[in-house]
Amino acid sequence: MDNEIQKVLIIGGGPTEIGHETELDAACVQVIQAFKKQGIRSLLIDNNPFSVALEDVQPTNIFIQAVTANNVQRIIEREQPDAILASVGGVTAISVVQELQENGVLADNDVKTLGIPADALMDINNPDRLNDVMRHVGVPVIASETVGTLDEAINVATKIGYPVIVKPIAPRIDTNRMLCENEQDMISAISRGFSWSRFKQCVIEQSIVGYKEIELVSMRDAMGTQVLIAGLENIDPIGIHSGDSMVVTPTLTLSNEEYETLRDTAFAINNQFQFTGVVHTHFALGSSENSYYVTKVTPYNDRGTSLVACATGYPIAYVAANLYLNQKLTDVHLPEIYHFKQTALLEPSLDHVVVRIPLWPFEDVKNADQHLSTVMKSVGSTIGVGRSTEEAILKALRSSQFSPQDELPSMNDLTDSQLISQLIHPLSSRILVLIEALRRGYQIDELTELTKIDPFYFVKLRHILEIEDHIKAHPMGVDALHEGRYYGFGDGMIARIWHTDIDTVRKLGQDNHISPTYKGIEPSAGELLNSPTAYYSTFELENESQQISAKTVLVLGRGGNQLGPNASADYFTTEMLKQLRKSGYQTVIMNTNPNAGSLTATLSDKQIIDPVQLGDIMNVIAIEHPVKIFVPGNRHYLTRELRHRNYVISILPPDQEKRSELLNDHANIGLDLFVTEGHIVPILASDLRSDRGIATTLDQITLMRTPATLTDQQLTAIIAHAKDYLGAHKRTGMVQMLYTTNGQQAPQFAGVRPTRLTTIAYLNKVTGINWVRMLVRQALGEIDEDLIAKLAVDIRSDRRSQVRGTFPFKQLQLPDQLGLTTQEVGARISFETL
Amino acid sequence: MAQRFLILEDGSIYPGHSFGAGATTTGEIVFNTSMLGYQEIVTNQIYHNQIIVFSQPIIGSIGIAHDSYESILPTAKGMVVRDITDISKNRQRSLSLDQFLKQHNIPGISGIDTRHLIRQIKQTGTIKGSIVDVADDHAFDQLHATVLTNQQVAQVATPRPYPNPNQGYNVVVIDFGLKHGILRQLSKRDCNVTVLPWDASAQDIINLDPDGVLLSTGPGSPLDLPESVLDMIRTIEERIPLFAIGLGHELFALANGSEITKLKLSHHGANHPIRKIITNEIIYAMESEEYVVDPDSVDRDRLITTYLDLIDGSIQGLRHRDYPAFSVQFFPDGAPGPDDSVDLFDEFVEIMGTRE
Repeated sequence: MDNEIQKVLIIGGGPTEIGHETELDAACVQVIQAFKKQGIRSLLIDNNPFSVALEDVQPTNIFIQAVTANNVQRIIEREQPDAILASVGGVTAISVVQELQENGVLADNDVKTLGIPADALMDINNPDRLNDVMRHVGVPVIASETVGTLDEAINVATKIGYPVIVKPIAPRIDTNRMLCENEQDMISAISRGFSWSRFKQCVIEQSIVGYKEIELVSMRDAMGTQVLIAGLENIDPIGIHSGDSMVVTPTLTLSNEEYETLRDTAFAINNQFQFTGVVHTHFALGSSENSYYVTKVTPYNDRGTSLVACATGYPIAYVAANLYLNQKLTDVHLPEIYHFKQTALLEPSLDHVVVRIPLWPFEDVKNADQHLSTVMKSVGSTIGVGRSTEEAILKALRSSQFSPQDELPSMNDLTDSQLISQLIHPLSSRILVLIEALRRGYQIDELTELTKIDPFYFVKLRHILEIEDHIKAHPMGVDALHEGRYYGFGDGMIARIWHTDIDTVRKLGQDNHISPTYKGIEPSAGELLNSPTAYYSTFELENESQQISAKTVLVLGRGGNQLGPNASADYFTTEMLKQLRKSGYQTVIMNTNPNAGSLTATLSDKQIIDPVQLGDIMNVIAIEHPVKIFVPGNRHYLTRELRHRNYVISILPPDQEKRSELLNDHANIGLDLFVTEGHIVPILASDLRSDRGIATTLDQITLMRTPATLTDQQLTAIIAHAKDYLGAHKRTGMVQMLYTTNGQQAPQFAGVRPTRLTTIAYLNKVTGINWVRMLVRQALGEIDEDLIAKLAVDIRSDRRSQVRGTFPFKQLQLPDQLGLTTQEVGARISFETL
Repeated sequence: MAQRFLILEDGSIYPGHSFGAGATTTGEIVFNTSMLGYQEIVTNQIYHNQIIVFSQPIIGSIGIAHDSYESILPTAKGMVVRDITDISKNRQRSLSLDQFLKQHNIPGISGIDTRHLIRQIKQTGTIKGSIVDVADDHAFDQLHATVLTNQQVAQVATPRPYPNPNQGYNVVVIDFGLKHGILRQLSKRDCNVTVLPWDASAQDIINLDPDGVLLSTGPGSPLDLPESVLDMIRTIEERIPLFAIGLGHELFALANGSEITKLKLSHHGANHPIRKIITNEIIYAMESEEYVVDPDSVDRDRLITTYLDLIDGSIQGLRHRDYPAFSVQFFPDGAPGPDDSVDLFDEFVEIMGTRE
């Protein structure tokens, strides 16, 4: 242990955007937990209103500021931390620490970098320097050159030969590879590349499009001990960004020799750089012997490490936190929740398969180019866990389509030429198109040729079609139902194939004892560990999941991240879990988002990683018999169906199913209130704006600013009006009253709506009161009215703050446009000068 | 695929689907938690007499590859898996795992709740089982009546010597059920290898004037081999650098006065951390242990413990105090599994060099 480190400045991940979502914050929460246990004081800078980590740090140690070099420098100078941690802040954090290393701020203030040594920091985002290191370690290197002008770029590309890849050096954002087929592509790619590079430089390199993309996640301690946690195999080849590719773990189509070669390479690189903590190494693997390249080294938490943590049950971020403090892997003793004391040293062995399918924002951003390429476009992902590849693929697919009835869309209206075009130039419907091609009788060899996807996956997809045919041919067949469920078909899918309803399907299952068996997700493949907290379902012999208590609440997670309120939903879910536990309930969460903080093992008593669909939910209910089911946000079909079956549902925030009542769309003032049986508590009055100024419709309101531009008199008037109105209309929980003002005139009432999830997160930060927890207590009937009366909410506070939505237009290569609430990818909050 | 059954001595029945050969088979049930390398595992001779349960559920996904044989004629008694893929990826597209097993008369059964099976074996300890067409009383009677041979080494080891010529050091490998990974590693280091049958005498070995002797891996209990093997080891270790692996390691320990105990439950996997005592380094390697050296029996005047499994505490390596002789319980050649400890072969070569 490094005793010189007492105080660490942690750089948060900032607002969610394409490239990262909640995984950074989830990792940050675990790091803070581990640091606390080691007696380390954590300081945290972040301006993400949906950060759970911000709730876990002492208010005096929080800096709600944008993650920029200037802001971090100011904090360093004022607080004099012993060390700085960039490993839970993504690319932005790495870039900021690089800058502070270069300009001497770290050295001047005697601040150590944790995890990534200062020298390595300069190398990892610079493909040129990375290649030097590769040569030193003896790893094959792709032909490449650094360029600073367009002319140079064209010359180099001509020399190497198109297609080539353009990568910005030290990019500010996580979109770092662009494929250029010709000079025209090069001209547009290079200008973008220069603008993303902190040095206005790019690397041009030989294209390895079509290679397999493999990723390894490993841990290393300061002594040099290393553990390989898992391998990830991208089903799509290089050419499609790994964030936009379907990914499977463990690797299924690699030979032992290939795998061990990559393992040795990853370890050699980790040693060369002297990394500590978690490292995610990306490889391109060719089909001929020994043709492999390292394409990227990310020695920090990212979506790859969170997927692996979720798939293996190995608490990566928690263990890494100990390693940052120079603890040895042999000495890391984990809390009981993480299986057993030596889990940190166990190389995980899996007895299940996990498939991740990305989610794209094209429903909400219709004018974006939907082709998948080397630039990432997805905003979230869902996973399916199964005992067969088919089961894992189907479960991931069922969660990725968000069909309330649990059905998959059909692709049969594509013409053959459209189909071929989409096989070669994939869209976000990639996997459905692959299935459609097989359905039309395309041969596996042809498809492998067109897509460069390993034939193994086509064999599996074709098997799914065979099972579907079997189900079709045997309406209400017991064997067909068993086979379908065994391979991951949902009850809703089977009901649709049979033209019946889900209850009929479930009754057939019940009558014939085709029951789900839950299997533990843990890193020893059943050899060492007995009682994990995470489970998935399948249909085999042994069920390992028993009812955990007579006082259980089931929480239905939101699944994969999408645009809109989803960005805040995981924060909401997490705070909900904390309060439920505090109120004395055992909690079970169902979710499929591998990046979700709400799936962290320490937050709930049981995590079920299964599609959050009606059949799967009823399977969980049949075991847990929860006293209540909590639904963050609302899912209309599910809540209706569950209520119809007499389950007790609490939708939070409440009244989400009640429609907004609007007199007009031109609201520019919002008044948020908390309403109980006995009290109406005004919380905050704010100006409501669009990203560009005046909002002319409600869905343009993506910015809230406080204090509101109201006179005292106006504020008094709207509070009085709101109390009157809410007293007369039955609404409880949190509501936002809407008003229109115009100068000194009395505000006009414009309508009322449930407070948005996004807004609640903001209210928490502004008031210092956790309104999510209040809502949970209200739903549990635990509200102490006397306490509500004494709530210290200062609605006349003149502290200036704002929250504004952020949009993915830049990454989607769209011109800047007016963002709508449904297009928010994240949000940022500020308390500074506005 | 036809329905078949895996039945166990304790009366349990697991229904599944047939793949590979359709024969009835009986063997000891062992499980392997390795994530890769089903071909290397099923062709390893240490699994003679055994039915292997794979915890990794997806088996067969890369077919059969020419460079992944650990023996050309596998002698495992069966494979138990969750999911089997019938795919061939070699240049002829001609050999899937299913076809390979058929050719070698090894039965397989898929669709088994292998996680449950493994959790069950953990409770019962090592147990016998059969893969059968019908799980009736007759099948159980047959299972109970089957006595597995304890002359396993004689069944799998080469009956005659053969060479693997090269330009480097002259190495004699004693074949107790040799894993080909060992030969590959020696080839990489240019060793001129002669493989001798398991019952070769010290004189047979000395006649070849080797620079080093390697005692190979193999199946079964070291206690079932005759005392003459231990005599051979005692003679050789005094004169010639000696490297022993797996069963060879157990024999080396026995020859130097240690005792061997049978584990209640065997361990096959590459996920346990192993401490290299001299440097405190942690490494990972494929372990296949059913018999281990009893730590209390190690004669510390003769042997030093060099490697220790940090999960189960088993001795994973020994070194002789007086002679250039050392051994490891795990497989330093990987195949499958990490090659973190492949430098043990370099060490062997180095020792042969210093003796010159």
